[in-house]
Parts: sequence; C-alpha cells; structure tokens
Amino acid sequence: MLLQLNNIFKWVNSGGQRIFLLKDINLEVHEGEFISIMGPSGSGKSTLLNVIGMLDDFDEGEYDFLHESVHTLKEKHRANLYKEYIGFVFQSYHLLDDLTVKENLEMPLLYKKYKGSERKAMVADMLDRFNIVGKKDLFPAQLSGGQQQLVGVARALISNPKLILADEPTGNLNSQQSEEIMELFKKLNQEGVTIIQVTHSEKNAAYGSRIVSLLDGRKV
Amino acid sequence: MFRNYLKIAWRNLVKNKGYTIINVGGLALGMAVTVIIGLWVQDELSQNDYFKDKHSIAQVFQSQTFNGEISTGPAIPRPLEKAFRDGYADNFKHIVMSSWNNSLYLKYKEVSISKSGNYMQKPAPEMLDLKILKGQKDGLREVNSIMLSAAVSKILFGEEEPIGKVVEVNSEYNLMVTAVYENIPFNTSFNTTEFIIPWEHYITTSEWIQNAEDSWGNNSFQMFVQIAAHTSIEKVTSAIRNVKLEIDEDNAEFNPQLFLFPMKDWYLRSNFENGKQVGGRIKYVWLFGIIGAFVLLLACINFMNLSTARSEKRGKEVGIRKSIGSQRGQLIYQFLSESFLVVLCAYFFAILIVLFAINGFNELALKEISFPWKNAVFWLVSLLFILFTALLAGSYPALYLSSFKPVDVLKGTFKVGKYAGLPRKILVVVQFTVSVAFIIGTVIVMQQINFAKNRSVGYDKEGLIQVPTMSQDFSGKYELMRAEFLGSGAVVEMSSSSSPTTQVWSNRNGFDWEGKPEGFQEDLAWTEVSPEYAKSLNLKIVEGRDFSREFASDSSGVLINETAKKYLGLTNPIGVLLKDSAEEDPNPPLKIIGVVQDMITQSPYEPIKQGVYVYDSSGNGSYYNLRLNPEKSASENIAVVEGVFKEHFPAIPFQYDFVDDEYGQKFASEERIGTLSGIFTALAILISCLGLFGLTSFVAEQRTKEIGVRKVLGATVFNVWNMLSKDFLKLVIISCFIAIPISYYIMNGWLQDYPYRVVLEWWIFVLAVVGAMGVTVLTVSFQAIKAAKANPVKSLRTE
Repeated sequence: MLLQLNNIFKWVNSGGQRIFLLKDINLEVHEGEFISIMGPSGSGKSTLLNVIGMLDDFDEGEYDFLHESVHTLKEKHRANLYKEYIGFVFQSYHLLDDLTVKENLEMPLLYKKYKGSERKAMVADMLDRFNIVGKKDLFPAQLSGGQQQLVGVARALISNPKLILADEPTGNLNSQQSEEIMELFKKLNQEGVTIIQVTHSEKNAAYGSRIVSLLDGRKV
Repeated sequence: MFRNYLKIAWRNLVKNKGYTIINVGGLALGMAVTVIIGLWVQDELSQNDYFKDKHSIAQVFQSQTFNGEISTGPAIPRPLEKAFRDGYADNFKHIVMSSWNNSLYLKYKEVSISKSGNYMQKPAPEMLDLKILKGQKDGLREVNSIMLSAAVSKILFGEEEPIGKVVEVNSEYNLMVTAVYENIPFNTSFNTTEFIIPWEHYITTSEWIQNAEDSWGNNSFQMFVQIAAHTSIEKVTSAIRNVKLEIDEDNAEFNPQLFLFPMKDWYLRSNFENGKQVGGRIKYVWLFGIIGAFVLLLACINFMNLSTARSEKRGKEVGIRKSIGSQRGQLIYQFLSESFLVVLCAYFFAILIVLFAINGFNELALKEISFPWKNAVFWLVSLLFILFTALLAGSYPALYLSSFKPVDVLKGTFKVGKYAGLPRKILVVVQFTVSVAFIIGTVIVMQQINFAKNRSVGYDKEGLIQVPTMSQDFSGKYELMRAEFLGSGAVVEMSSSSSPTTQVWSNRNGFDWEGKPEGFQEDLAWTEVSPEYAKSLNLKIVEGRDFSREFASDSSGVLINETAKKYLGLTNPIGVLLKDSAEEDPNPPLKIIGVVQDMITQSPYEPIKQGVYVYDSSGNGSYYNLRLNPEKSASENIAVVEGVFKEHFPAIPFQYDFVDDEYGQKFASEERIGTLSGIFTALAILISCLGLFGLTSFVAEQRTKEIGVRKVLGATVFNVWNMLSKDFLKLVIISCFIAIPISYYIMNGWLQDYPYRVVLEWWIFVLAVVGAMGVTVLTVSFQAIKAAKANPVKSLRTE
C-alpha cells in the first residue's frame, strides 16, 4: 500500500461558522494505481490532492504514507518525504520563467543534492525521453502550452517519484495536446508510476483505473 | 545550488530593469555615502597615528580660575621645566619644551620662503619618531642647527645636497641643516611643523624669553612629554597636578592645576568647559557616523520595500520551489544570496562613485583622504560591510517571501492581506522621518551660519589687508613704511597692531582702578596699536576721542571697547586710570581716553570680549593693517604695495591676507559641516524618493484593475491621482510629526554650543514639512498620473 487516508477533515472558520473543505475522507491508494478525482467546482478536489501531496494541512484524521504517519511529522521531515516520493504537475505548468527548460528540469535534483555529473546525465536522459532536446535552452515563454506541460511532467518525473499528483494537467491545453499528455500518463502508469489526477473531463478520467468522486468535501 | 540561485537572481535583475536600476542605484548611492563617511571617520580617528608613541605622548595643560570660571589651555611657564626635571624626572621618558608654531623666513641663495615650524628641545625627533631621510636624528644637538621637512628642503635646495648647508632665518641668523625628515602627514597635530630649530637657539633670539626663565606668571610656552613605560597618564597627572600651585605663591589665587592631555585626545576631544573635558570634534564624528548609518538604512529600506512589493510575482516561484521540495531554510538562503548579489553590484558602483567623488569631498571636508586600494583591512571591512548590508536589506524580504504557503500562491488566487503592506508603510515612515529630520537639521545649520555672518563686525573689513611683520627687519621702520605706503597712493590709511585684526593674541590682568570691586579678577583682551588703528579699520569712536599724535600724553592712553566699559563697571570711563597693581611698575598708569565700538576679533558665535587698545609707541607691531585706496582695483593696489615692500625688504617674501577672507575663515568649520550635511541630506532625500517612486509604480500596477473599474464607473484622472497620492501623503505627514520633535531636540542641543545663536522658529519646521510633501507629491504623481490616464479597456483586459 502506498498511502492511506483515514477520516480526514479539513475546515476553515468564517464568521463564526465552520465550513468543511474535506469531510471524513477515507482513501487507500496502492502502488500502480491511476486514480482520477472528479467533482464539481468547489467540491474539494484540489484540496484533497494538496493534502495528499503534503502541501496542505488537515485538521483531523490520519494520513499514512509508506507506513509513515504524515500527521505527526515535522515540516522538514514531511518535505523530505514528498521530495523523495512525489512529483507535482500543475494546470498552469508552473515552470520558473527565469530558467531555461534544462535548468527547470535540473532544479528538483538540486534540492535532492545530486552531484553535477549525475544531474547532467539525468537531465539529458529526460530531455531525450520526452523528445525535447532541441528546446533545452529555451525559456518557458518561448514554448507552447503543450510543450510547457511536457516539461512540467518531465520535471515531476526526473527524480523518479513513486507518485505523481496532477491537478487538472490538461486544463489549459487544447484537445490534441490533452490527448498527448494523457497518453503519456498512461504510459508512465504502465511503467509502474502511481498517478492521481484531478480532472473535470470524463474522457481524461477514463484513462484512469479508478474514479473518486467528491461533492461538498465528501466522497460520494 | 548557489550558482543556480545567482543565475536566477541575475536573470531577475536583468529582466526587471527599472526595478534593478532603482534598487542597485539607490543602494550604490547609499553605500557610497557610507563608504565616504567611513573613510572620513577612519581618518579622523587615525589622527596622529603617525606617531608610534601616540598613547604615551601628552602635552602639559593648565587650568586656572578667574572670577569662578575655570579656563584651560596649553600655555605654561618656563620654570616648570626645571621643576619637572628636578622633582619628577622618573615619570617621564622625554620632556620637550616647545615654542608655538612660528612662521619664519628661510633663505638659501636666491630662494626665500615663509614656512612655519617650532623651536623644540633635543628629544623631539626621537619622541615623535620622525623618519630621517638625510642627516642625523639628534639634529638638534648644536645650537645653530635646523631640521627641515622633505618639502621645505626640496624648495630650498632642489636637487642639491642639503646637509651641512647654511640657511638664513628671518635675515637675522644663520643655521646649518643637520637633518631632513619625511613630511609629517596632514592628519597629525604637527602637520605645520615644517622645520625644527633647537630650543636653546630660541632662548637666544629674544630677551623676554630669557627673562621668562624664572617667571612663573609668564605662560607663553608649550611642553610636550612622553611618560615613562612603567606609569600611566593618570598617575603622572596626579603627581604633577599641584607643582605650580605649590611653588608659585603669587598666582595661587588662580589655583593653577596642571595635567597631562594625552595625544590621543588632542584632535577629537580638545574642548574644555570650566575645567572639564567636554569632547570636541568627536561630536562630528558621531554626527556623520550616524548620518552614514541612516543613509545606508534608507537605501536598505528601499530594497526591502521593493522586494516585498514584488511578492506577488515572486510568490509563484516560492510555491513552485516548495512543491518541488525546497525547504524554507533553502529559500531564505536563496533570497539572501540574491540580496548579496544586488549588494555586491551596488558596492561595485559605490566604489566607482567614491572614486569619482573623493577629490571633491576632500576639498569640501578639508581632508587628504586617498582611496585605500592596497589596504587589506579596508577590503576585509568592505566584505563585512557587504555581508552586513545584504543581511540588513535581505533578511526581511527573505523571511517574508519564504513564508508563503505553496497552496495559496499556486492557486493563483493569492492576494496579499489587508495588513501585509503595514511593515512597508512603517518603513516608508522611517525613511521620511530621517529625511525630514535631515532637512530640518541642515536648514538650522545654514541659518546659524548666516545668523553669525550677518552679525555686525564692528569695523569695515572690505578693502583691508594685513601684512605680517614679525621679524627683526621691521623693527623701528613703522613710521618710514607708513609714509612710503601712504605716499604710493595705493593706501589711504595704515596702522600696526600686536595681533591680527581677526584675533587677539594677548590677555592681561592685574590692574587697579577707581571703583574696582573687591576681589574682582579681571581678564582683558590686550592689543597694542599705532595711533591710527581705529581710523584704518573704520572703527567708530562712541565716547571720548581717538588717539592723536598731537598729544604726547596719549602714549599712555588707552581705548577700551563698549563691552569693557560695562565689564569694568564704568559709567563715565573717560579719564579713568588703569594702574598696574604691581607696586614697582615704572610705567605711568594707563588713562582711558575713548571708547570704541565693539568689534568681533574672536569667535563670531560668542559675545565680544572686553578689550583694551594700548598706544604702541615702539612701532614693533606684528601686523601692518593697510586700508587700500577704494578708487583703484585691489590688484592694482596690491601690486603697488608689493613694489614698495620689496624696495625696503628685498629679502622677505611679500605676504598679505585680506581681512575679509581671514574673517571668513571663522565660519569655515561650520560651513563645511553645513555643506556636507546639505549634500548628505540631498542624497538621503533622493534615495527615499527613488524608493517611493518604485513603490508607487508597484502599487499602481497592483491596482491597475481597480483603477480600470473606477474609471469605467466615472472616476476622473484627478480622482485616481488623489486616491494613489493620498496614501503616501498620509505616511509623510506621520513622518513629519515624528521628525519635528526629534530634530528640534537634537538641533536645540547643537545650538547650545553657541552663545550667539539663532532662535528656532516655527517656519523652519513648516518649510521642511511642505518641502517633504512637495517632493512626495511630485514623485508619486509621475506614476499616479500615468496609471490614471491608462485606457481602462486595456487594463481590464489584462486580467
């Protein structure tokens, strides 16, 4: 088992009222799964993904990731944990505008303290695999949306994560680009990477092996 | 990793050029000011460091009490030397008697120059550790010898070998050059000692010096000492404190107290008030030090404000980096390295500015500071300075930016909260508080200078020149020269006096007069003058009459000034006799024949001292005072005067000063401070405005959408301008309210040093407030109007 959520609650207090963002979420994810989280706007999809990705806290419940209880860890340990095992892909790509494609890919490796020669090899490998060698010295603004997302996926993959979290990865792309990215995810999943994606599109959800539906912070 | 940080920082800088120019430029200016002030402070503090025994050398000072006021000074009597050598020798390594710094004429073959130097006892070169370039270190062994500085030797002898050559001094005696020493640097107390002549020779030059050998009352000499290795300045002081009091019974009523004034304090802590050491130039070291620190702070605040104002842009990067695995510590480290890079660039430009400005600064500050390229300590301090500045400027942005939560910033809905701008506002208030305080301070300094300048001098200083006549050549030639000068047509009146017009060199006491209060210890400024003194100066007689050659009895007559009339308590001064209280005085008593208007001879910031002008029948004055012919140009007159002078004194270089300029010298120190603080204030304001400019442009950018909506709903350009400016004006007004009391308090304290001072008036503060607000409005308007005029359709579409 990769991760397990037990009775997760998350809320905000607004004007003396408690508004629940997540309500009693239970979820088990096994290695090799490809899960799609679906639901209308404001149902808590992204919040759940962020909780899983340890970017966001929750108020109640338990979260085990590879048999470590995340809710008891300190920030530093938590950061080490997700740095090691999780890669993120964002709807608006979130590449660093001031770095080239190559440098963007290299960045996670820097935080994991790889040596220079190792980094070079890994970046070259990734550029090769995604067929973007020719673009390595361009800045994100010089790429199309699909290409930027390709780099985003490559960056998420470069440190060999066990889990990829994708928040509407195709939300800003046209249909052809969407399809390419989804095919890529499918291929990665077949190679053994666990993927959790948030999506609005039934078509994209169909690439996954399981669908988790949310409404008003509850699993339905 | 570090390289990656620098790379992204560098690209950030290049991409946001406007921001970079403001940031780096402001910091560079601030750092340049700090570096220059730092060099200046270092120069002030290292004054006299040239002397390796700085900490064991001292000068003997004396405090005496007159009418309950303790006055302190370096003048001591000759017999003190013997008393020290006989009874206290083991306290000292060296005792060196010295004359004052004298200006003498030195002549070798055709070359004749006027230079200043001292008569000193033998151990002087060793005590001061003079670097001997040629000749011998104990060059003062023979009575008829002279040691020259390298500069003087160069002028006199050029490439010739100076040692063993004979120099004619004041056309009176010949001295043999025994040594040439390295020029004593400018930042020392002996920088005008360009030659040294043996003390023993000094004694032979004048009768009064010989007579002073046993005279405890004649305080006309200086004594420098180096204390012995085993003791301390304080111990020696307590040993010698009462030496004079115990021996000299005649002057015991003045309670003479001796003490050692250590060399390390000569320059910076040389003021004495009522017998206590009360600082001195050190206060300006502090003042400028504080100004430097504040200017740097202003520049750092710009950096902080602009960095945090851009937080919405940088926030995304923080989010991405955190989601990829960066920890907060790493981000703090990244932002700090970024500020390090900016500060490093700024320092580079700061050094360029310093190099460019140092000569001008030296001229303004009367310094000889050179850029310390080869000084390792300087570069080390620079590095620390860069790190410190980077930390000061970068820590707040680093802590602030790195605290963002990735979820918030990546969602794209990130907006800084209502109070996120509060620290920024506080920083702007700090900046303007400092700027407004600087403005007020500078205006007050300028006002005080003008106030003292506009004070009535009492005589006509325009068109008046003074010629020094302190050599034997001039003895007995006064009447002849007067006739010659008047006959030349270039001079309409002439007199001689024992001190220059702008100074008083002598003070006397020990008189009796009718109605003198019991126990009154008078202290009178004493000037010996030729009969036409008042006429040549255009000094008004307010009571009685001027000297006249027609009354032989006037040779024992005196003029007193108005202050002296009050001081002596005379309602009807004419005809009052001033008798010397010493019984055996052979001279007839002095009879007051007239009262002249008060004239400023000493500090223009102080009340005029009670003075007497005594008829000098010998014609041995120290200066000729020449009233030039107003119908001709000054240069014409001077040429004629020089011709006449050269005719009679061919061996003596013709020297003269306009009394005007000499008088202006009295303001030099305050004017320097005024000019420098004016410049620093202007820079401080410039830096603050740069920051404000940057900040407004960010605010305008942030509120583009709001401005667009408002315009669509009917807001005019004026409404929008008003909206944007109001926020900043509020801050400036708050600053004014903080700055006014602070600067009032400080400047009021500064003015207390000047008995004759300007009254602080409310309009100065209003002026500063209006000025600050004006500058703010101008700065803000530039961006505000641009934002207000933008087409709302465009600005709304960008969202």
